[in-house]
Amino acid sequence: MPPPVAASLAPAAPADLDRSCRWPVLVLGGLSAGWLVFAAVLGVLAAIKLHAPGMLANIEWLTYGRVQPAAWNALVFGFGALAGLALALWLMVRLSGVPLAGTGTILFGAAVWQVGLKLGVLGVLAGDSTGIEGLELPRYASPLLLAGYLLIAPWALVVFGRRQRRESYISQWYLVTALLVFPWCFASGYVLTSFLPLRGVLQAAAQAWYLQQLWVLWFGSLTLAALFYFLPKLTGAAVPSRSLALFGFWTFVAFGGLGGLTRYAGGPFPAWMLSLAVVGNVLTLFAIYGVGANLLPSLRAALSRLSGNVVLWFLGFSLLAWLTAGVLTALNSLATVRHLTHFTLVTPGLDQLAFLGGFGVAALGGLYVVVPCLLGRDWPSRFLATLHFGCAAGAVVLLAVAFLVGGLVHGAALNNTDVAFLTVAKRYLPFASTGTLAQLLWLVGSGAFAVNFLWLLGACARTICVPAARALVEPLPAEGKA
Amino acid sequence: MKHGPLLFLGVFAAFFASWVAGVLAPHLQIGGQSLVQIDDLGIQYPLDRTGEAKQGAQVYRAQGCHYCHTQQVLQEPLLSRLTLTDAGTNITDAVAALRKVRRDLDADAATELVRHPPQVILAHAGASATDQATRLLTNAGARVESTIANLGPDLRRGWGTRRTVSRDYLRDQPVFLGQIRLGPDLANLGARQTNTTWLLRKLYNARIDLPGSTMPRYPYLFTERRLRPGQAPSPDALALPSEFAPPAGIEIIPTREARQLVAYLLSLRSDALFYEVFPPPTDQCRDKTGRDHERPVRPNLVPRP
Repeated sequence: MPPPVAASLAPAAPADLDRSCRWPVLVLGGLSAGWLVFAAVLGVLAAIKLHAPGMLANIEWLTYGRVQPAAWNALVFGFGALAGLALALWLMVRLSGVPLAGTGTILFGAAVWQVGLKLGVLGVLAGDSTGIEGLELPRYASPLLLAGYLLIAPWALVVFGRRQRRESYISQWYLVTALLVFPWCFASGYVLTSFLPLRGVLQAAAQAWYLQQLWVLWFGSLTLAALFYFLPKLTGAAVPSRSLALFGFWTFVAFGGLGGLTRYAGGPFPAWMLSLAVVGNVLTLFAIYGVGANLLPSLRAALSRLSGNVVLWFLGFSLLAWLTAGVLTALNSLATVRHLTHFTLVTPGLDQLAFLGGFGVAALGGLYVVVPCLLGRDWPSRFLATLHFGCAAGAVVLLAVAFLVGGLVHGAALNNTDVAFLTVAKRYLPFASTGTLAQLLWLVGSGAFAVNFLWLLGACARTICVPAARALVEPLPAEGKA
Repeated sequence: MKHGPLLFLGVFAAFFASWVAGVLAPHLQIGGQSLVQIDDLGIQYPLDRTGEAKQGAQVYRAQGCHYCHTQQVLQEPLLSRLTLTDAGTNITDAVAALRKVRRDLDADAATELVRHPPQVILAHAGASATDQATRLLTNAGARVESTIANLGPDLRRGWGTRRTVSRDYLRDQPVFLGQIRLGPDLANLGARQTNTTWLLRKLYNARIDLPGSTMPRYPYLFTERRLRPGQAPSPDALALPSEFAPPAGIEIIPTREARQLVAYLLSLRSDALFYEVFPPPTDQCRDKTGRDHERPVRPNLVPRP
């Protein structure tokens, strides 16, 4: 006899939902924590090499031109993508009220992704990079990442399709966007630059488009999905306006992907491409307004509850960083500003502010909520979590300020032809060394997170393993004597 | 939003639109660009690189040079310098016209200028101001010549003679446009540097010739060779000043990769002139019959041999 229909429609308890996605989310989260530390180590190395070019110069694998892309890929595809997928799966399951299916496939997908990324990062360090910034992974690695993704992400969409309520949540819109965007932009970017490369500068156009999708539509959507779920949940204040959220979402989706070419402003491209990019970036301000107007009030309402709530610090900081990065990006696309900032440290500064400050901090805050739910045990060290927040926020602020101010100084010197090029380099050096300090802070924070994570896993393992081991060692009562 | 399919389709449509605008449309517009003939011998630009330079491009890629060096020259919007070359026969008209162009000049100063051509009348003027001045002065019977004056910091730094255009990159795979200038632009390195030894020494240690340079060392592109007693040093050995020189009896020989990289760097030049890189002809190019006569706006650029 088939089970009654009512039973299948009954909402599953949060505990059941968490049990269904425990292993995939934990494995993805754990792997991302590992990559976070690894990328931070490489990031420190790259940052030092920027102002101390003699350090470890004898080792070909560690030259700046290889460590820098290796660190970027480890951070973006190791930490960013895996943490993003972990959060996407968990959020989708929670919001849809349906248990996760396809656990085995997801774990296999995580393994494929992991192998592909390891091969790719090693390949970049060995000199096999494709030479296109942001699309460096060699041809033998990038298809593995796509395959891994296609084994993982569709299950979140399956859960969405089976959702309990027809009405969908704001976070779900952003999740669906992120999940749809990534495979297309990743495949399109790699195919058009390294498998069937377009001619000449069109490769750079494809690259700029890909980077825009990656930063704004993939990581931006994941950030907003996390913020729209966790901020109202933690502060207890509902999102004030659903229509404003709809407006923000559709303007974000429509205009967010257009602004890529400001990276190459003034470069060898048809002029309309740049105009379109500027228009796209400026119109994205509507989306930023939609998000800010909806989420900032809840943050303000929770000001009194901020003390002691580390997770709320993470998410609040992420919201502020994301909004700031969006406004600055729009500002930076204006011709007069860009004239000063192009080819300078402002470019990586804005990327880092949006990625580390916006996405990274939100994803870490999300993991601080999700992991204890899955393991049924709180983080062992509150101090380490607080330390992590302090270091991460400090690192992002320091990096952004150093690179934005340094970029303006760098740009002013570049544009002033009375300044010899060597002097230009000397002017940005102090800011580059401040960048090293920021990377070191980020590394300390990441280390604290990894230690806390391992400690938590160890504690869980002990509660499971110790009684089992004791049962093995201790003789059974009564029967042993007989 | 109650409709999952609406969400899917909406996201899909927006994403597809950005793909069309960012990738497909540019491809349709300039994807079919062909090489351009730059002289009567049938030489096609961009020139094909030598085999060694092509391998050098792969060394450039593998070492990640493009994380610090761009290969694109930017140019500011067109600004001109207008020079009076001949006042013509009617000095009075020419002076009157000049005083309309340069309202800051009094009659004496204007007459002085007109009497002793050639004189620079306008520097760093926009296209419309130059056009108007040209019209006024030529109507008065004077002759003027307009040249491109303000070309932007890149050209003033000597990084090129013109901006780079999409056709310059037709043979590059991958294209190393670069996003950050922690080092100088290299789009025309081969046009300003022809010294292989200097470049090799730069790769070995940039601080030999430029103390304080932030460029990394690439010692692994060189091999150390121990000389046997009495053996003559190799002609390939790098000549280094004493503070950077290896101990006696050891010489530094560039590897094949170093030579390939230098061959590539020397092959970098995008200075050929063809119609895209010339400024557009202005209205004054055409006389009343619609035929082109001598173009007033010409770049003061001479193609390098």
